[in-house]
Amino acid sequence: MHTDREKSEPDDKSPWAVMQPVRGQIRFAMALAGLGTFLSLVALAMLAWVIHRLIEAPGDWPWTPMFGVLVCTVLAYLLRINSFDQSHYAAFRLEQILRTRLSEHLARVSLGEIQRIGAGALAKVIQDDVKELHVFVADSTPLYARAYAGPAITLIALLWLDWRLALAAVAVLALGFVAMSLAMRDRAELVRRYHAARERVSAAVVEFVQAMPVVRTFDSGTDTFGRFQHALDAYLGFLTHWYREAGLSARLGMAVLNPMPTLAILLWFGAWLGWRESLDFSTWLAVLLIGTGMAEAMMPLMSLYHLIDKAKLSIDRIDEVMNTPELPQVAPEGARRPQDASLVFEGVGFRYDADGEEAVADLSFTAAPGTVTALVGPSGAGKTTVARLIPRFWDVTAGRVLVGGVDVREMRAEDLMGQVSFVFQDTFLFAGSIAENIRLGVPDASQEAVEAAARAAQAHAFIEALPQGYETRAGERGIFLSGGQRQRITIARAILQDRPILVLDEATAFADPENELALVAALSQLMRGKTVILVAHRLSTIRDADQILVLDRGRLAELGRHDDLIAHGGLYARLWHGYEQAQAWMLHPDTPPSAHAPSPARLAEMPS
Amino acid sequence: MTTDSSPTMPASSSGPRPITPWLKTYRQLLRSSGTRAAELRAALLGLTIAAALQGLALACLLPLFSSVLPDPDWPAVWTWLAVMTALMGLATVARWRAQGFDFDGHMAAATHELRTRLGEQLRRMPLERLQDKRTGEVSSTLLGNVDENLNYLLTVVNLILGAIVTPLVAALATLFVDWRMGLILLLIFPTILPLYRWRRPIFARNMRRLAETHQRINGDILEYTQGLPVLRAARCAGERAASLQEGFEELRLVQSRAQRAGNRPKVLIASLVELGLLLVVAVGVTWAIAGTLDVAVLAALLVMVSRFAEPLANFVNYTAILELIETALERIEALLAIEPLPQRTPTAVPTEFDIAFSGVTFGYAQGDRPVIRDLDAELPARRMTALVGPSGSGKSTLTRLLMRHADPQRGTVAIGGVDVRAIPPETLNGLISVVFQDVYLFDDTVLANIRMARPDASDAEVEAAARAARCLDFIERLPQGWDTPLGDIGGRLSGGERQRISIARALLKQAPIVVLDEPTAALDTESERSVQEAIDALVRDKTVIVIAHRLSTIAGADAILVLEDGRLVEQGRHADLLAAGRRYRAMWNAQQRAKAWHLIETEPDRDTLPPTDSQTIPNSAASEPR
Repeated sequence: MHTDREKSEPDDKSPWAVMQPVRGQIRFAMALAGLGTFLSLVALAMLAWVIHRLIEAPGDWPWTPMFGVLVCTVLAYLLRINSFDQSHYAAFRLEQILRTRLSEHLARVSLGEIQRIGAGALAKVIQDDVKELHVFVADSTPLYARAYAGPAITLIALLWLDWRLALAAVAVLALGFVAMSLAMRDRAELVRRYHAARERVSAAVVEFVQAMPVVRTFDSGTDTFGRFQHALDAYLGFLTHWYREAGLSARLGMAVLNPMPTLAILLWFGAWLGWRESLDFSTWLAVLLIGTGMAEAMMPLMSLYHLIDKAKLSIDRIDEVMNTPELPQVAPEGARRPQDASLVFEGVGFRYDADGEEAVADLSFTAAPGTVTALVGPSGAGKTTVARLIPRFWDVTAGRVLVGGVDVREMRAEDLMGQVSFVFQDTFLFAGSIAENIRLGVPDASQEAVEAAARAAQAHAFIEALPQGYETRAGERGIFLSGGQRQRITIARAILQDRPILVLDEATAFADPENELALVAALSQLMRGKTVILVAHRLSTIRDADQILVLDRGRLAELGRHDDLIAHGGLYARLWHGYEQAQAWMLHPDTPPSAHAPSPARLAEMPS
Repeated sequence: MTTDSSPTMPASSSGPRPITPWLKTYRQLLRSSGTRAAELRAALLGLTIAAALQGLALACLLPLFSSVLPDPDWPAVWTWLAVMTALMGLATVARWRAQGFDFDGHMAAATHELRTRLGEQLRRMPLERLQDKRTGEVSSTLLGNVDENLNYLLTVVNLILGAIVTPLVAALATLFVDWRMGLILLLIFPTILPLYRWRRPIFARNMRRLAETHQRINGDILEYTQGLPVLRAARCAGERAASLQEGFEELRLVQSRAQRAGNRPKVLIASLVELGLLLVVAVGVTWAIAGTLDVAVLAALLVMVSRFAEPLANFVNYTAILELIETALERIEALLAIEPLPQRTPTAVPTEFDIAFSGVTFGYAQGDRPVIRDLDAELPARRMTALVGPSGSGKSTLTRLLMRHADPQRGTVAIGGVDVRAIPPETLNGLISVVFQDVYLFDDTVLANIRMARPDASDAEVEAAARAARCLDFIERLPQGWDTPLGDIGGRLSGGERQRISIARALLKQAPIVVLDEPTAALDTESERSVQEAIDALVRDKTVIVIAHRLSTIAGADAILVLEDGRLVEQGRHADLLAAGRRYRAMWNAQQRAKAWHLIETEPDRDTLPPTDSQTIPNSAASEPR
């Protein structure tokens, strides 16, 4: 029946579509469930036949119908168990398929998109949203089959037994159906509002817990933290309203779609028929046995709708990730290889949204092999964006980026990555040994090479001091490493990769003085002999750069060497002046520093 | 009353083992429903009565059929039909009323109350416990999903009662008509119940194994999504994806195994129900043929029993939901049981604001060794004290002890001579302003974010704080000025702007003690400058504790405490510490050398030059707030 639904709603994608990869097995499970339902009804009919035989021929064993009851009961039961097994295995398979597809898709999506959605959110989709489908796929599909097949088969059987009683049973069912529809009225809208209110509560809860250190410092103890309470109150208000609104019809639905009213109607009506005209007791009994469950079979539909609604939210999020565009790849025959270690931006423009403002506008520069180019500018000037256009986090919207004389879009991803290495601000270590982390991307590097890289990155000494040296596990589940140590491991990684072009997004925060010194030393080792693009957040490191690009709101404001730019007296000179002041900032409680502290000018003259 | 209305069976039939936990759950349930406990008890009682009445109604089939067969006794038929209908009607009324717990909003109100109570508890419990990752996660999930767990309570209880109480009452009533059949019914159906407990350990074991696998996969997935930029750059995204997919395959195998193992008890219980049904048929037919059982009675029994089969077979599924509820209740109780840090009496409020740590030793609950060891330090009032030392040396922990995120295992922390444990928590909160490296802004307007520091502050006061914190220029440039919701423009504020808002907040609070924990570490140069100006305004005339990575920033401090591995290794003023030539001097030298290091080596011996570049350290006048 899910195919019907799909056809009837071509625009609004049906949640059933998510089962496409395991559709065959799900259909099989539903068929088994339907058949099982049929057989259990047959078993009930056979019971009436047993009684019939006992009345007709008292004292004779009703072997045939009794055997029938036994066979049908056992078969129905086996079918039901099997149906659930099949749907569960299908659901597990579907989880695996969806997760595999998602992870493969992410490997081809632009990194900019991944960053936009966020690593945590993506992980949540792959793990939790896929898991959320379980109840829908595994548990509800056999129930669905039963909820539809049960009443249909029952009705046919009843019509065959006694059409008058059949109509009575249908009347009860119809009444229940009406009540249920009433309860479901405006449901889509209410469910939407319900989820909206719930999401606000979740957000408030997360905020409340995460911000607790801050909340506490402003906690006067008099009233509950207002924002949290507001969200809770709004949710309560909505929930109470919904319950009251749906209360009458929902309760009516539950009262009617219970076996008891059907049983009562069938009893009264049957007895009346027997009194007025004639009704064979066995037929009446068969109707009672089969027909009473008819309304009951509809009951699960109510909770099933709820489950599907929940699954829908997860399906939407999964689809959203699957629909993110993949980075266009050049055809293998058209691919070109980089010729040298140069980097050129030619009239590059870039905007994050088609109708947004330009994050980078008309930027042209050339970085000759072996030279150092520094990108500086106020925050939001587009420094990091420019750096990320090189590894194709995004593709430019105007102009082109040439690595080794070749447009990055005309290169195979492997060739581009083989030419350029990146050291990002956020240091990322994988679960695995430190050696494996350094060796990333160069799996056949010898232990000596790894250690040499670590030594150059000023990391060898502290790695040796760890409990298991290079075999110590790092990453999420490994030992604690300070930020500076982690940075040096990632620098060792880049040194080992040894690619001609280096894109370096300088860290904004340094851990502690000794780490800072080691880090600077490690970076200068890494940069030796490379074409370097350095995103500088602190200016101390760039005075000797071959060229400094000063960006302002995505445009190239100034270009030159340090001394020239200072002499020019423009934006760079202003930034430099501010930097010097920030460096010299000294906190002092209330007395002027000269009173008891040495002035920074004097500090500099201290022996070291 | 308590036992009568409990959603369990009388002890005689199902044995004491399943009863005890259910009784415990029932008590926890009443406790968790707070002021709505009476309504809940009434609702559960109502459902039990409804289920019992339904059992009686079904039992009416016995006399009813007996009056139809072999020859109809119509008056008796009408009478029994009327009795049966009346019982059904009463059952419906009882259930209708009981469902009022849901539909009249009592359930929503009870979960709302519970959530509020849990929220209160989070505010009271030691912050250290909450910041422990595991507890933090559990708490937020609990707080977020408390109603998800409890909303289905009535529905589930109703279904379970339908599976237990209804058959039981019907079976008891059958005893009066035919004691043998009654006995068989009693033996078959209620004996199935304890079996569900047998399923539990298997269920729990599989759940645990599944949870472990999920957790591992979860870590792998997160690592993959976080590491994608690095993986792609290293050209091994495909390889990692492959190992991730092996994990997915393994998960499927574990799931399938759990499904098979979990199925066994389920299959067995369901089989017993089906077999019981067949047994009733077989025995009934035997006795009917022997002439000791009326065919009418047998027919009635078949109709009754066919009604039991479905709910009983589903019983096991319902108990799974009940287990979820039980787990949630246990967690709620555990969370509520966490004691807040003890309040010393008599309480006292400090009038001076010097800070003293004496003999303080502290280790985090989840850590194996102390992070602060036997530390003594005095921080004078209205003076600035700097904490320096390598990462992990205990600097931040010391400030957390002052704010009482946790209490030290030994020693005392005192403000103005008063032990912080004797200061009422609200008072203590009011004494200290903190500026962290990471700024937390709330999803609210700029104005509300600043004003939360002192809700009764006038607009002029808020504005003055914002001006002093150098916020005015950028606030006025925001699309809706002061009323701009920060959630909408979160990304558009720079780190420095966010930090300045948090400083305005701290300024407005006017606390006598200010803690600065690396407030400018994560900022770029340009933002740093304006944040520094804002901080200069904040620290005026306060007792200040500052943690800063750049030592020149704190060179003017009245006292510098050098920490290493949780111990105080050196203290004094900058000049004295430099002269002493020990730990501080080494750090200072390292930093000076880093500053002068030339990243780009134009001359081979550049890096050995002494750090005498006076341009990087201009005269002090430039750093004075103007």
